[in-house]
Amino acid sequence: MTVEQGVQAVDQFPVGMRVLAVDDDQTCLLILETLLHRCQYHVTTTDKAQTALELLRENKNKFDLVISDVDMPDMDGFKLLELVGLEMDLPVIMLSAHSDPKYVMKGVKHGACDYLLKPVRIEELKNIWQHVVRKSKLKKMKGIVTNGESEGNSDQNGVRANRKRKDQLEEKDEEEQEQERGNDKKPRVIWTRELHNKFLAAVDHVGIKNAVPKKILDLMNVDNLTRENVASHLQKFRLALKKITNEAKQQANMAAANSHFMQMSSLKGFGSFHHSPIPLGSSQFHGGAATMRHYPSNRTFAGMFPHVSSSLPRNLHNDGGHMLQGTPFPPLENLHINSNNKAFPSFASQQSSLLVAPSMVLEGHQQSTSPSFSPHLEINKRLEDWSNNIPQSNVHSEPDALGWNMFGNSTNQTYFCRDTDFGSSSAAQADSLQMKQQHENIFSPMTVAQLLRSSSANEGLFMGQQKLENGFMASDAGSLDDIVNSMMTQEQSQAEFSEGDWVWVA
Amino acid sequence: MDAHVAQLQMQYRNYILSLYQQGFLDDQFTELKSLQDDGSPDFVAEVLSLFFDDCVKLVGNMARALDQTGTVDFCQVGANVHQLKGSSSSVGAKRVKGLCINFKELCEAKNYEGCVRCLQQVDVEYKTLKAKLQDMFNLEKQIVQAGGIVPQVDIN
Repeated sequence: MTVEQGVQAVDQFPVGMRVLAVDDDQTCLLILETLLHRCQYHVTTTDKAQTALELLRENKNKFDLVISDVDMPDMDGFKLLELVGLEMDLPVIMLSAHSDPKYVMKGVKHGACDYLLKPVRIEELKNIWQHVVRKSKLKKMKGIVTNGESEGNSDQNGVRANRKRKDQLEEKDEEEQEQERGNDKKPRVIWTRELHNKFLAAVDHVGIKNAVPKKILDLMNVDNLTRENVASHLQKFRLALKKITNEAKQQANMAAANSHFMQMSSLKGFGSFHHSPIPLGSSQFHGGAATMRHYPSNRTFAGMFPHVSSSLPRNLHNDGGHMLQGTPFPPLENLHINSNNKAFPSFASQQSSLLVAPSMVLEGHQQSTSPSFSPHLEINKRLEDWSNNIPQSNVHSEPDALGWNMFGNSTNQTYFCRDTDFGSSSAAQADSLQMKQQHENIFSPMTVAQLLRSSSANEGLFMGQQKLENGFMASDAGSLDDIVNSMMTQEQSQAEFSEGDWVWVA
Repeated sequence: MDAHVAQLQMQYRNYILSLYQQGFLDDQFTELKSLQDDGSPDFVAEVLSLFFDDCVKLVGNMARALDQTGTVDFCQVGANVHQLKGSSSSVGAKRVKGLCINFKELCEAKNYEGCVRCLQQVDVEYKTLKAKLQDMFNLEKQIVQAGGIVPQVDIN
């Protein structure tokens, strides 16, 4: 379809929507084709899932929607569903004579947009175009989030047509969208939840051992994503995995955590906050510096607690995992967060402020004593480690996808980005809220994934402010989820934090 | 001739109604009919012939699966039943579909005799339906040849 044709199609959407129908039963296939024609869609049929995949791969933008039977001899319909979602990100509707809810559940879990029972009625097919709109809407959002024009430029008729259709439906000017996309272009790739999920799915698909950036990139099929983006993301992912593994083995190395903080602070120029409090939660998170995977990079952390410096010192100790890249103790003047109590004798008094600050940030964490911060610090540390790979020109928020995601990166990051704006309580509060939630998630394996996912989603929102690292965070989150789930026990985390009254589990 | 056509049409109408009343056909068949138009005048015939071809194939598969000395692969039988169920429900072959539902349960219960019996019933049923629909098409042809148009039968 040329662009003009695409435009024409758009004008009449949903008329002309291009559907690929797959069913090994020729009777059903013919009926389906006829029904779809009756709905004025453009239909292509095949009775083999393999052929369908080939058709789709041949030209990703040739189709708007795929309808597929579940039971097919050459390939399981669910498998096809997964692959289509992964490689082409097209809406897929499942079709089956199985009315058993468990099949429906399976379909939904594998990413089906809808699940229709045979015999299919024309009324049901008349509404399937909404899935295309919905998907393109999501893509558009993702496009805004992920800089670049993941969806639009590659411009394929289908995608553009979809977007246009959507626009049309929303009566939005196409130019506006173009501008929007243009304005949203950022030089860096933000690893949103969706993007990260795609990454994860791709990694699952090839297997972690075979995960090479090129393969993953191909599978992800996201525009404006380079091999380098994927490579660095993968690296972080692997590091996170390793760290989590190590973490599980070594417990409670607060020193490491402290050093992390120091590192973090040094990075951010906040000085190192070692927080001794770390032990509270640190054990869980680390066996050492290495274990601080989950924590967002110092930067963000540091950004997060401008006031922290004073209270953090609790357990600040410079020794312990000298993860710090720089000097353990940055010049005091640089330290917003003082890892060394001595450095900021006022901290004692400030501790309360610290507590307060975090509460502002963490909304409710304030009850936690400084130790509560330690988890953050630890987390930061982790993220720090993990984002170490990433050149972080922006102090703002290292992606520390792991940690920050948990902390609701988006907000936090924004917050952190404002190195100088620590005083913004509102931001802090917002961040804290997120952080709180995030923290909770971190410690509950079950929810970690959720968190990570959600956090990365949040990140997406903050595209503009987030740096590349953020992207990693998201991705890390994903990978970590699994690891965390298996590695960390909820009790453990809870126990660790209980000491500090860490209100993660808000 | 008009009287003849009218008579044929009446015959046709009654015949169709009886098929529904006897449970050979259901609403899905009506849907199928509604999809037939000038653009695709033989749509129903086409679909039904595909369906009956499927029946032959699937019944054959099932017969082979059930006719094994040794262990019977009920999963295989079940898969075929499932497919037949899907296609029969899509064309509106009500009785065949009903049998498939029973058949499925028998497969799950690994009831060998039950399956064999059910398969025989399916075999009889689809052939009966095929014959009946063939009569219906013949009537349609007669009406058209007599210069009339095939009436749309309204199944209340």
